Amino acid sequence: MFHPKQMTKLLIAASKDHIEEVIGELYKRRLFHIEDYVRNDLEEWSGYSIGMSLTQADQISSELVKIRSIISNLEINQESMPLAGYAKQNELSKKIESDLPGIAARIEALLSKRSGLDAEQKDLEQKIEGLKPFIAFEHPLELLSGHQAIGLLAGYVKGTPTLPDESEVFTSPAKNGEAFTIVAVRTEKVAECERALLDAQFHKVTIPQEREFASAAIERYQQQNTALESEIKRLDEELETVKKQHQLFFVSSEELLTAEIQQAEAPLRFATTEHAFVIEGFVPTTEAAEVMESLVAVTGGKIEIQELEIKDPNNEPPVDLQNPGFAQPTEALINLYTAPKYTEIDPSLVMSVLYPLMFGFILGDVGYGAILLVMSLALRGFVKGSDMGEKLMKVLRNCSISAIVFGIAFSEFLGMSLPWHPVWLSRHLNIGGGAEHGLEYVTHIPELLIITIWVGLFHLTLGRIWGARNAYVMDHGEHRSKLMFACIGWVLVMWGIVIAVWSYFPLPLMPDLTGLPYIAGFSAGAAFGVLCLLIGIVLIARDSVIELMEIPTIISNVLSYTRLVAVGLSSVAIALVTNFIAIKMIIDPALADFTVLSIVLIIAGIAVFLFGHTLNTALGLLGGGVHPLRLHYVEFFTKFYRGGGKKYDPFGMLRKYTEAEK
Amino acid sequence: MSEIEIAIATAAGYKAIGAGLAVGLAGIGAGIGEMAIGAAAVGAVAENKDMFGLALLFTVLPETIVIFGLVVALLLLFT
Repeated sequence: MFHPKQMTKLLIAASKDHIEEVIGELYKRRLFHIEDYVRNDLEEWSGYSIGMSLTQADQISSELVKIRSIISNLEINQESMPLAGYAKQNELSKKIESDLPGIAARIEALLSKRSGLDAEQKDLEQKIEGLKPFIAFEHPLELLSGHQAIGLLAGYVKGTPTLPDESEVFTSPAKNGEAFTIVAVRTEKVAECERALLDAQFHKVTIPQEREFASAAIERYQQQNTALESEIKRLDEELETVKKQHQLFFVSSEELLTAEIQQAEAPLRFATTEHAFVIEGFVPTTEAAEVMESLVAVTGGKIEIQELEIKDPNNEPPVDLQNPGFAQPTEALINLYTAPKYTEIDPSLVMSVLYPLMFGFILGDVGYGAILLVMSLALRGFVKGSDMGEKLMKVLRNCSISAIVFGIAFSEFLGMSLPWHPVWLSRHLNIGGGAEHGLEYVTHIPELLIITIWVGLFHLTLGRIWGARNAYVMDHGEHRSKLMFACIGWVLVMWGIVIAVWSYFPLPLMPDLTGLPYIAGFSAGAAFGVLCLLIGIVLIARDSVIELMEIPTIISNVLSYTRLVAVGLSSVAIALVTNFIAIKMIIDPALADFTVLSIVLIIAGIAVFLFGHTLNTALGLLGGGVHPLRLHYVEFFTKFYRGGGKKYDPFGMLRKYTEAEK
Repeated sequence: MSEIEIAIATAAGYKAIGAGLAVGLAGIGAGIGEMAIGAAAVGAVAENKDMFGLALLFTVLPETIVIFGLVVALLLLFT
C-alpha cells in the first residue's frame, strides 16, 4: 500500500563450473531481477567482460526458429489453446529431439507443395485473364502467330485510329467506350502502325501462344484449375489434421525452448572473468533469505552472495507495486501513465476508490450501469491472456457497480425516474415540460457543483501533501526543504482564496463566514484568507519565482472538477431527450389514435429509443471513463507524481504448458 | 400578455441563447485546439504505445474550456 515492495540488492559470484545450476535455480524461483552488466571503465569492474551464452544456445535457437515458423505457418493461436495438463520437461525434451525433425520435415514438404500449387494456380488465372479479350475473335489463335512478313498488334483503343494502307483490322466493342482491336500489317510498317494506334490511346495486350479458339483454351485451363483447387483443398485438410494432432506439442515445445534459450543466453547479462561470473540484481526483501539459501544449496556452498547497499534508492531498484486485491486493477491505469519510482507514493489505492466513485457520479444511472456491468463481464473472455485487458475490465466492472449505486441514489433508469425520490440531491432536468404534466422536477445543480468543488479541494490538497512527502523522501539538501514548503505554500494559497470567498459569499453546503466581525473594514475571515495567501506566495517564491505565474491555475484546477456534474448532466439530458422524442412525440400519439400506421410509428419510436440509448451508453462510457482519468492525470498527478520507475521483471517465466523439473 | 410577462419571457429566451452560445462557442474553440493535438497524439502512440497516458493527457487539455462553458450554461439555466 502506498509503497512498492521493498527490494534487496544482491551480488552473486561463483565459479563458472556452477553457472548452469545458478541460472536454473534463479529461473525456477522467478524472483531475481537481473541488472544487466554494462561494460565500463570503473576500477572495481576492471578485468571483467560480458559473458558468453552457454554452448547449447545455438542448437536450442535453431530448434526454436523451426517451431516458431511452424506455429506461424499453421496459424496456431496460442491464446485460445486449451490447457491439457502440463508436459513433463524431460519427456518433452526427448520428444523434441526424436520427433521434431520428422514432423517439421513433413510440414515443410506439405507447405512447399502447397505454395507450389498456389503459384501454379496463379499462373493459370493469368493465362485465362490474357485469353479473355480474344473470345470475340472467333478464329483459331494460331492464325495470330508464326508469320514472317506480317506483324500483328492487339490491344484496346479509344476512337478511330488512322492506320496506314494495306492493314487488316479486327475490332469488337469493349468496356468504357474502348474497342478491342487486332491489326495485321506488313512487318516494315509495324512501327508506323503502332504510332498511329498510340495516338488513339492504345494499350497493348500480349497475343497468347495458343493454337485453338480462345474460348476452348479458357475451358481447358479452367478444367486444370478445378483439378488444382481440389488438390489444394486436400492439402489444406491434411495440414489441418497435422495441426490438430501436434499443436499442443508445438506450443508446449515453444514454451520449453523459450525457457531454455532464456537460460542459455542469461550469461550475456553477467560480468565474467576467465573462471568466474558475477550477477547483480534485486529480490524482494521478504524472499531474499530464501533465494540465498537455495543458491547455496544447489552449488554445495561454493558461492559468494553479498547484500549490497543501494546507492540511488530513487532510480536503482525495480518497482513492484503491492496493493490490496481490489486496488490491483487500478495499477493498470497507473502504469498507463508511467510506473512510480521506487521511493515515491504509489497512488493506486486512492485512485482505486476515487476513480469508480467519480465514474459513478458522472454516469449515475441504473440502466447504463447495468449495461456496462454486463459488458465488462461478457468482454472478459475476449481479453483473456492480456494482463492489461483483464485489469481494465475489472476497473470497468467496479465503475459500473458504482454507477448503479449512484443511479439508485439519483433515482435514474435510462433517463427515467425510478419509483422513489432521489436520495438527497436530484439531477432530474425539466426537459419535455415534465413540470406541466404535474410531475415534480427539482434539480440541485448548484449543490452538486459545490460537491464537486469539495472533491477538487480534497484531491488537490492531498496531491500537494503527497508532493511534500515525496520531496522529503526523494530530494536532498536545500532543495528538499524549499520544495516541501512550496507544496505547503500551494495548499495555503488555495485555502486562503477559499476562506476569502466564504467570508464574502454565502454558498450552499459550505461554511458561511460572512457573519464574522469586521476589522478595519475587512472581514476577519477575509483577512485570515489573505494572510494564508501571502504566506503561501512567499513559500512558493522561495522555491521558484517563476512558479508564481501558475497561481491562477489553482482556480482553473478546482473548477475543473465541476466537469463531474457537467458531463453527468449532459448524459442525463441526452437520455431525457431520447425518451421525450421516442415516447412522448412518437409512441404516445400513435397509441392515442391507433391505426395501421401506428404500428410503423411505434417501431420507429422503439428504433429511436434504442439508437439514442446506445449512443448515450457509448458517450457515458467515454465521458465517465476519460474525465475522471484526466482529473487524476492532469489535476492530481501533476502535484506530486514523478514516475519513470523501472518495472520489476524477475528472471523466469510463468509456465502454461510445461512443468519444470523438481 | 402584459408587458411584464413579455419581458420575463424575453429574459428567459436570452438566458437560453446565452447558455447555448457558452457551450457552442467553447466547444468550437476546444475542437480547434484538440484537432492538432489529437493528430499528433495518435502519431506518437502509433510509434510508441507507452505514450498513451501522456497523449491522452495532452489531448484532453483544451476540453476544460468546454466544461467551463457548460458550467456557465448550467448556472444560467438553473440558478
